[in-house]
Amino acid sequence: MSHWAILSGIEANLAAYEAVLEDIKRQVPKVTELYILGDVINASAASEKLIERIRNPRIGELVPQVCKGWWEEQVMMLHGFVPDLEPNPLVEKYGADGVKALWDSISKETVSWISNLHFAFMEFDCLLVHGSSLSVFEELTPESSPLLLLDRIARSNANRLFCGRSGQTFRYQIKDGSLNSHVLTLDGAEALETFNTSDRLAIGVGNVGGTPNQATYTIYSPNTDIVKFRTVRYGKSKGFGKT
Amino acid sequence: MKIAVMSCIHGNYEALDAVLRDIDHQKAEKIFCLGDLVGYGPFPSNVVEMVRSLDIPTTQGCWDEDIVEGLNSCECSYPSMLAEKRGRLAHEWTNEHIYPETKEYLAALPKVIKEDNLAFVHGSPQSQHEYLLPELDGFIALERVLSTGADMLFCGHTHVPYVRTLDAGKLRLLVRTGTEVPEAEMREFNAPLKRIVNVGSVGEPRHGRPNATYVIYDTDSDRVTLREVEYDYQKTCAAIIERGLPPIFAWRLAKGLEFAERADDASHLCERGV
Repeated sequence: MSHWAILSGIEANLAAYEAVLEDIKRQVPKVTELYILGDVINASAASEKLIERIRNPRIGELVPQVCKGWWEEQVMMLHGFVPDLEPNPLVEKYGADGVKALWDSISKETVSWISNLHFAFMEFDCLLVHGSSLSVFEELTPESSPLLLLDRIARSNANRLFCGRSGQTFRYQIKDGSLNSHVLTLDGAEALETFNTSDRLAIGVGNVGGTPNQATYTIYSPNTDIVKFRTVRYGKSKGFGKT
Repeated sequence: MKIAVMSCIHGNYEALDAVLRDIDHQKAEKIFCLGDLVGYGPFPSNVVEMVRSLDIPTTQGCWDEDIVEGLNSCECSYPSMLAEKRGRLAHEWTNEHIYPETKEYLAALPKVIKEDNLAFVHGSPQSQHEYLLPELDGFIALERVLSTGADMLFCGHTHVPYVRTLDAGKLRLLVRTGTEVPEAEMREFNAPLKRIVNVGSVGEPRHGRPNATYVIYDTDSDRVTLREVEYDYQKTCAAIIERGLPPIFAWRLAKGLEFAERADDASHLCERGV
């Protein structure tokens, strides 16, 4: 039986990552796969230490499977691996100082490692991705249009889509639906069709490093389809806690 | 008020002239054009000049974008490998024969035009290169209309006209947020009636006849009429050969169908990012 831990948005927060790893070790049944849906870094010197920790798991620890996030895509743009966007998202959000900070904080070796990361993972009928099946930049939330979610799930031929861009934990199930379509062509031919959809799921996996002293992540069992959200409190003042 | 909507003229001046005369005859008060003024046909600059001189609101087509941005502007520019091979020849020819100011005009065209409850795009609101085929999943088609905020979405790009009505759309959703809220919230989503009108192609039809197609929409009666206009297509075929374009384009214009233009993957959705 597979049990996945799915993380996103560590953002160079090593303490948060360590706390989540400890929580993962305590899980029963045992977690068998560890996915990190991007944004492992940010524009700080702490990024290198975090990457080193991810790339060198200790004995007995799971080997993380990492895909690209918003920050990793900024690195790719900055170093010319992918075409720049107009307007540049990094400049828009963090200004020229942010660009310089990112340039200074990521080594060439790490740039090379990032360039080899996947856009997404497809396992069973699940797509695991930072933003959406369309882009690392797209933010799916509990308020997203259900039709947009259906589109993003259908694009990958998946039934479940795990994403991390919003940083929120949510379980958004499209239980069922129907729609009538009538097509009339130039020659007067008519086609009537009813479209049905059932049981598609988008899951926001939370955010590990963005909120001080509190990390969220997701446990998923593809065999039972059970989604469990975890909150891990860490830091000297808080102690370890869980919900 | 009657409005006329046309698309995909593709440098076919004879066809454009015939359609404009038919629009006049139909007493349409306004014309919209959904792009692809150039490509395949022998008179790209003349077509652009005519559209500009009539001040017709026009969206940017995939060919218009490719001529400005280069052929790699989108990975799904062509419906099939064979179409891509032939399309490249037409792209190179067109690139050599249009004026710099024509390029500037094409570069400045908007991707979407909104007017009241109507939206106008070339392929889809997602991308000029995306095909809204009549067999596209109904929910995805509905998403494309809703994303514009309009009730009726006019598109082209497939070169085959149709009117699609999407009705009685409903979804039941269960949404749970946060880590500490055990109860999921049940939501219902009901979509009002929406329509997609594909206006076909003026200058490079693919419905099995060489005639030009476009659409008249009467905003008062809410009636859509798919128009088919005969014209002297052989003049355009002769010009295609005389001006040095690949003769296959003349052959397929005369037939109104060419197998290379059939999509390899009809369900393909454009992957260009948001």
